[in-house]
Amino acid sequence: MTGHASPLLEATGLVRRYRGLVALDGVGLTLVAGEAVALLGANGAGKTTLLEVLAGIRRAHEGTLVWSYPDGSTGPAVGWVPQRPSLYARLTTRENLRLFAALERRPQPRIVADELLEKADLVGVADRPAAQLSTGTRQRLNLAIALAGEPRALLLDEPSATLSPDQRHRLWTWLAELRREGMALVFATQSVDEAARQADRTLVLARGRRVFSGTIAELIARHPSDPASAGDPGERAFLALIDDPAVAAP
Amino acid sequence: MTAFLLLLRKDLRLLVRSPIVVAVLIGYPLLVAFLVSSALQSEERRPAIAVVNLDTAGRTVQVGDRRLSVDDYLNRLDDDVDLKRLGADSATRELDAGRVSAVLTIPAGFIGDLQSGVRQPALRLVTSRRSPIEGQAVTRRLEAAVYRFNQGLAATYVQQVVRLVDLVVNGGQLGFFGRSGDALGLVRTRVLVVDLQRRLAASGATADTARLEQIVNFIDETQSNLDLARPAAASIANPIALQTATGASGREPLSAFGVAGALLVSLALVGVLIAAAGVAAEREENTLVRLRRGLVSVPAIIAEKIVFAALTCVVVGAALLVAVAGLTDLAVGRWGLWLPVLVLSGLAFGAFGALVGAAARETRTALLAALMLALPLVFVGLIPGDTVALVARVVPFGPAFSAFRTLLAEPNLPGGLVADLSLLGGLAAALAVAASLLLSRQKAL
Repeated sequence: MTGHASPLLEATGLVRRYRGLVALDGVGLTLVAGEAVALLGANGAGKTTLLEVLAGIRRAHEGTLVWSYPDGSTGPAVGWVPQRPSLYARLTTRENLRLFAALERRPQPRIVADELLEKADLVGVADRPAAQLSTGTRQRLNLAIALAGEPRALLLDEPSATLSPDQRHRLWTWLAELRREGMALVFATQSVDEAARQADRTLVLARGRRVFSGTIAELIARHPSDPASAGDPGERAFLALIDDPAVAAP
Repeated sequence: MTAFLLLLRKDLRLLVRSPIVVAVLIGYPLLVAFLVSSALQSEERRPAIAVVNLDTAGRTVQVGDRRLSVDDYLNRLDDDVDLKRLGADSATRELDAGRVSAVLTIPAGFIGDLQSGVRQPALRLVTSRRSPIEGQAVTRRLEAAVYRFNQGLAATYVQQVVRLVDLVVNGGQLGFFGRSGDALGLVRTRVLVVDLQRRLAASGATADTARLEQIVNFIDETQSNLDLARPAAASIANPIALQTATGASGREPLSAFGVAGALLVSLALVGVLIAAAGVAAEREENTLVRLRRGLVSVPAIIAEKIVFAALTCVVVGAALLVAVAGLTDLAVGRWGLWLPVLVLSGLAFGAFGALVGAAARETRTALLAALMLALPLVFVGLIPGDTVALVARVVPFGPAFSAFRTLLAEPNLPGGLVADLSLLGGLAAALAVAASLLLSRQKAL
C-alpha cells in the first residue's frame, strides 16, 4: 500500500529526553494514507515514546512533525490506541462510545456510537459495562473509541500483546478493513512475525535510535543467518541487528 | 455540551450508579456528625448525683410567710443535676461503681439548724475519684446551686427584717418568729406622747413637759434612722443585681461547636476523597492519556473533579443541616449564607483532594494518602491554639470550620466570615493550580 503521492505525516529528527535520558534520538518517519508501519524493538527502545510524540501526548524536544491531509487540513487527526485499554470500566460499551464521540465534538454522538458498535462488532455487548468485557472485546472497544474522532491514522501501542490467537486474528482483520478504507497505521510490536505479516514497512528502534527501516525480507537479506539455525529467520535477523556492536553501543 | 460538562455528567452517572457509595456518602457523614456531636456535647449532660437525706425530723422550716422543706431544696437542685434519692449504703455503692458522679448528704438536723439559726447547716458532698474532671464540674454546679439557695433565703430574711422595722415604726399586728399581738409603733407612740405633753403643759407641769420632749426627740431620731435602714437592708440582700437576657432562640454554643466539627469532618472527608479518587481514577483507567490528547485540558479535568466534589459537599452538607434543624434545638438559620459557605468549602476540599489525586498513581493509593493527610489536618482545624492555628489557616479546614461555627453560633454576622470565605476561595484556586501543574508533569500509567 505504499507509494501514495503526498504523505500524511512527515517527522524528522525527533528527540525526546526524560531527566537527561535520551528516549528518542533523531528519529524520522513518513506515513502515507493506507500504509502500515511497524515499530519493532526491545523494551525501552523508544517505541511507545515515538508513538506518544506522534499522537501529541508528549512534545518532542527537537525535530519537526507535520500532519497534512488531502483536503488541506493539518494537525494530528490520529486515533490513539494505548496498550492498556483507555476507557471507563463502569460505563457501558455504548456510553463509552457516546462520551468519547461527544468529547471529539462529533455532531451526532449517539449515531456515531451506534455506527461504531456495528463496525467493531460490539452490538451484542453494547449495554454491558466495559469492566465485564473479555480482553479481546475490551481491545476492540479501545480501538472503536480511537475511531470516534474520525482519524486519518491510527497509532497503536502493542495492540495484540494481551490477545489470544483468535482475538488477534479478529483484530487484524478489522484493521485490514480500515486500511482498505485509507486508514494509515503505525503500531508498536515485539513480534517480528506480526511486523512481517501486518506492516508494509518496519522501523527497528534501539536505544531511541532508528537502526533499520524497510521490510522484514530486507532485514533478513541484510542479516542472513544459517537456515539450519533454530527459530524464525526474521527473529534471527532482528537479534543479529540489535546485537550488532555498532547498534548496541551507547 | 462542553467537555467539562460531559465529564461532570459522566462522574454523576457513575456516582448514581453506585448505590453503596451514595449510601456511604450520606450515611457516613451522618454517623460522624452524630458521634462528633455526641462527644462534644457530653459536657452538657446533667451529672447523676445520689442524695442521702438523713434529716428525718423537722422536715420544714418557716421563713417569713414561706414554709420550706428538704424536698423543696432538692427540687431546686434537680434543675442542675440528675438526682437519685438513695440510702447511705446504696449511694456509696453507686459512687464506687461509677454510676453516680457524687453523693450529696443532707445531715440530720439540717432543717432544725436552718430554723434556729444557732448553728450553720451544712451539706456534705463526696465526689468520685474515678473522674476528677466530672467531680469538679459537679462541685461547681452544687456550689452555684447552694449560692442561689442561700441568696433566696437571705432575701427572705431581709424581707422579714424590713417588715419588723415597718412594725416598729408604724405599728400593727405581729405575725412572725412564732409571736402574735398588736404592736404600737413609733408613729402612734409619738402621737400619744405629744398629746400627753400638751395636757401636762396645760396643767402647768412644766418639768414633766420638758422630760417628755426628750422622748419625742428620741422617737423622731429613731424613726429617721429606721427609714434609712429599709433601703440599706434591701441593698444587703442584693449587693449586685444581674440583669439577664436570652440570646437568639435555641442557640447552644457547645452544640454549635459540635455540629460545626461534625460538618467539617464529614464534608472534608467527602470532598477530599471524591476529588482524590476522581483524579486518580482517570489515570488508573488510562483515560487521562486519551483526554489529554486535545479533548480536555488538564486544568479543565482538575476543575471538573473539584466542582464535582463541591457539588457532593453541598448536597451532603444540606442533608446534614436539615437533619440538625429537624432533630436538634440548634438554630441552623441563614440558609442563604450556607450555600456560599458550603460551595467554597467544597471547592477548597476538592482542590486539596485533587492535589493528592494528581500525585498518586492509583486510586487506592490516592484514597489512603488523602485520608492520612486530611485527617490530622482536619483535627488541627478543630483544635484552638496559636501554633496549630497557623497550620490550620494554610489548609482549607481551619477557615471552613471557622465559617461553619460563625453561621451556627454567632448571633451577629461578623466580618470574619468574609475573610474566611476569601481565604477558602484563595486556597481553592492555589491548590487547583498546583494540582494542574502536578498532573501535567505526571506520566500516565
